[in-house]
Amino acid sequence: MDNYRLDKVHKFEEFVDRRLKPDLVRAISERDKVFEQQKTFSDLRKNIENLQKNSVTSLRTLVNLGSEVYMQAEVPDTQHIFVDVGLGFHVEFTWSEALNYISLREEKLARQIEEYTHHIASIKAQIKMVCEGIRELLQLPAEATLQEPIF
Amino acid sequence: MEEGANGTVTPLASMFPADEAQKAAGRVQDAIAEKRRELDRVRGFAADNAALVNLVQKLPEELHHDVMVPFGKAAFFPGRLIHTNEFTVLLGEGYYAERTSKQTVEILRRRGKALETHVDSLKSIIEDLKTEASFFDKTASEAAEGLVEIREELSGEESDEGSSELGQKEDGPSISVEDKGKILNEDEEYDRLMSKLDELEKEELAAEAADNIEEETNEVDPDVVSDQSSFHQNLKDLEGSHSCMPPSHSERQASNEEFLRQTRQQPALVEKLNPGDFTIASSQKDKTSHGNDLLWNLKGPDIADKSPKLPALEENDHAGSSNNEVPIQPPKPKVDSLRAFTGSIIEHSPNLPINPREPSATSSKVPGSQSSKPLSRFRMQRK
Repeated sequence: MDNYRLDKVHKFEEFVDRRLKPDLVRAISERDKVFEQQKTFSDLRKNIENLQKNSVTSLRTLVNLGSEVYMQAEVPDTQHIFVDVGLGFHVEFTWSEALNYISLREEKLARQIEEYTHHIASIKAQIKMVCEGIRELLQLPAEATLQEPIF
Repeated sequence: MEEGANGTVTPLASMFPADEAQKAAGRVQDAIAEKRRELDRVRGFAADNAALVNLVQKLPEELHHDVMVPFGKAAFFPGRLIHTNEFTVLLGEGYYAERTSKQTVEILRRRGKALETHVDSLKSIIEDLKTEASFFDKTASEAAEGLVEIREELSGEESDEGSSELGQKEDGPSISVEDKGKILNEDEEYDRLMSKLDELEKEELAAEAADNIEEETNEVDPDVVSDQSSFHQNLKDLEGSHSCMPPSHSERQASNEEFLRQTRQQPALVEKLNPGDFTIASSQKDKTSHGNDLLWNLKGPDIADKSPKLPALEENDHAGSSNNEVPIQPPKPKVDSLRAFTGSIIEHSPNLPINPREPSATSSKVPGSQSSKPLSRFRMQRK
């Protein structure tokens, strides 16, 4: 009987360590990636709005050639902008079209982030549940700290 | 086992349990894997750098290039590169410099060189770790086989004979502990220095001293069977008195390589090792894998090491011409060190190779590789 219980506890612990925790780590890193994308698109939106506000028609920038070596570049016509739409495709937009697309894209990214957050929360809940199961199996008293946070 | 003698016999397994040694070997393997990854990463940087050098060289060939100019991470403008011979290069710490294509290529080449030395040092570190791992493996297997280490206190004259025999037996099995190896290394270094000085001295004394040397060494030699050939060769060159460096150099080379194989060399050890090869550095650095990058910072210490000793050498030249005892000194410590590197117990190295039939004059400086340092210095001053 005791052996059986220990076996069970061991299996649960393994499940937490081998399955749930790596899942959690992966989900968090995925969400971070989406956060980053969101940031790039919000930056792009701000930049395009800036161009619009100042009605810039030509542009000079520095292009990074790699290893922090830069060269001057000139953009004769800023009306047309190529925006990354995913899978390596770039679509030629005008400013207003680009802004339109960006707002749609941002909405989608926000939804994705929401999803990932839910996912992460559910994994955390699962971990907690398995830990509670282990506690019950070992017949330890419930942790006092768990009850405390109820104000 | 050794009831009569005042020594101790410790099974190797009690000091280094086999599984522990294996664990250590595993850890070293992990370290090797990590270094390999780093090496790959640095190699990637080097490749990128080479590609960039190509690009920077080619760009000024045209007045402008049509490119997609990145605008943030997710967008591009169609545009072109202009001022193709003007580069802004990051120097570090947020400082940028305007450079031409040629100057930029120079900067990138220097960066490439730094990366190369990094690659080299990583390679040598990996080599070191490999030897370390093989050493741990060997220790593990030896511990598993049930080898024993025999230690014996050195006490008085009468124990000398017995222990020297014992020493021969112990030669193979026992393994030196790390810190002892370090001490030994210092000794060896010192001995090399001394032998170098003596050789130089000898060179100046030239032919008339050569006869004396031969007599002298014939007395000493017979017992040291293992080193006899190289020793003799050394002497022959001394007689010739034109170049006594090559033989001693090759010998040192041998002992170096032996040493590299035997000890698990931390970089610190390697650094210590190199200072020994001052004058012969040019040929030496080809052989030792990391000699190249280490040498430049070692040259300073070498000179510093050498200069204070030169006055003493000069003194010897005047007084020591008639003294035929000098040449014995260099080879003897070398015998000790060589022996130690074949894996003998270090505490015993002083009396291991000692020849019971040795003349009394030389026996006074036998007592130990550690004590040989102050003694020989004293001898130098006495002359």
